[in-house]
Amino acid sequence: MNRVAAAVVSIAMLVATASPVLRKPWDDGFPLSPYAMFAFRRPTKLSMEYPLGITASGGRRYLAPWIVGSGEVLQALRVIARAKEARTLPALCATIAGRIAPLDEYRDVASIRIVTGTHDAVDFLVRDQLGMEQERARCEVRR
Amino acid sequence: MSEAKQPSWISRWWFAPAPAERLAAVRIVIGMFALAWILIRIREGYAVAQLPAENFRPTGVVRILEAPLDPELSLAISIATAVLLAAFVVGFRFRVLAPLAAVALLWTLTYRNSWGMIFHTENLLVLHVIALACAPAADAWAIDRRPERPATTGYGWVIKLLVALTALTYVLAAIAKLRIAGMAWIDGEQLRNQIAVDNLRKALLGDSIAPLATQFLDHPSGFTVFSILTLVFELGAPIALVGPRLAKLWALTAWGFHVGVVMLMNIWFLYPLLGVAFIAVLPAERPFAWLIGWWRRRAGMPGT
Repeated sequence: MNRVAAAVVSIAMLVATASPVLRKPWDDGFPLSPYAMFAFRRPTKLSMEYPLGITASGGRRYLAPWIVGSGEVLQALRVIARAKEARTLPALCATIAGRIAPLDEYRDVASIRIVTGTHDAVDFLVRDQLGMEQERARCEVRR
Repeated sequence: MSEAKQPSWISRWWFAPAPAERLAAVRIVIGMFALAWILIRIREGYAVAQLPAENFRPTGVVRILEAPLDPELSLAISIATAVLLAAFVVGFRFRVLAPLAAVALLWTLTYRNSWGMIFHTENLLVLHVIALACAPAADAWAIDRRPERPATTGYGWVIKLLVALTALTYVLAAIAKLRIAGMAWIDGEQLRNQIAVDNLRKALLGDSIAPLATQFLDHPSGFTVFSILTLVFELGAPIALVGPRLAKLWALTAWGFHVGVVMLMNIWFLYPLLGVAFIAVLPAERPFAWLIGWWRRRAGMPGT
């Protein structure tokens, strides 16, 4: 490799890496990204779908993302959102119930609810204030 | 006799010499990280590849697919990627296998990012491996026979390219903030809200929230300071190219920034957190040289 080839490789890589700046910031890609993930204005109020484990006494337990289908929180959220779009939340609920049934750590969970919850993030995290929840699907955990 | 043309200052700067051993050490460290990353995530990648097809949102090179691959094929590609990365680390048939390892890594990680959520923890790793695969990064400390003569381009330009790629990704993050929010981003409210919402999502999905999130969310004024520091640090990333001292100082700041991200968002950018993303700013060959010297002395072998 001579200097010209090395310069071409260098320039090509740097230009490619910088190229997302020419796209809309929300037009993300991999591995060429505009890295806009923390750039957007967002309110502290958030609505999202998530599963809840309900104990026999009515207590609530949050379920780990891998039980939904991915160890990554955001990917797990997309799985639930897509199931909602496809109207397959009851099937996802049954899948989640099947996954937790053999797990000791969720032995006290008797049923699963998939809900749409709307919470203020600061109130929820700092003041333990729960927002509104609407049930989208419910199923029993069979053991 | 005509006088030889002097290289421009930019050429002298970009092609400033560096030892082959430094680039080799960088290859070994980055390659080992990539190998470990693929191996550790292989099971999760297989699980994700089994998600219903409606979750498949191809990005980057994976856009050539109209439907997801068979999960077993996806697993086989991940395993092949690991094998190629092992060859990359030890410098075996580097000219042929290193580009293949880079392409395989690009494919495997892009495929994992094609399931509804693009993560930003792996981008720089892929870019670094591609850059190393295009360079004479196995001229030292490799199974391949050492070339009779050092590369005519030297080895410093590759080191500089790795640092430039690292710096560029941070500058891009700052540009995105300024393009979308403008200077309003530094009022702290946006950062605070991002942190609050990210932690809320984690809490609702049964994941751990960040250790300092609730304390800081209760005192929002601190986020103005964090926001200003973030923009200064990101826009100032190119100082890492000015000289070794500034590069180390910036790398240390970047590491601190990522520790802050863990403390406030519980997001683990392991590549920078373990220092691997910044290895090119360090004399990475020294610990390897020491280790090799120690081993040779122990084995009673003559010095290098």
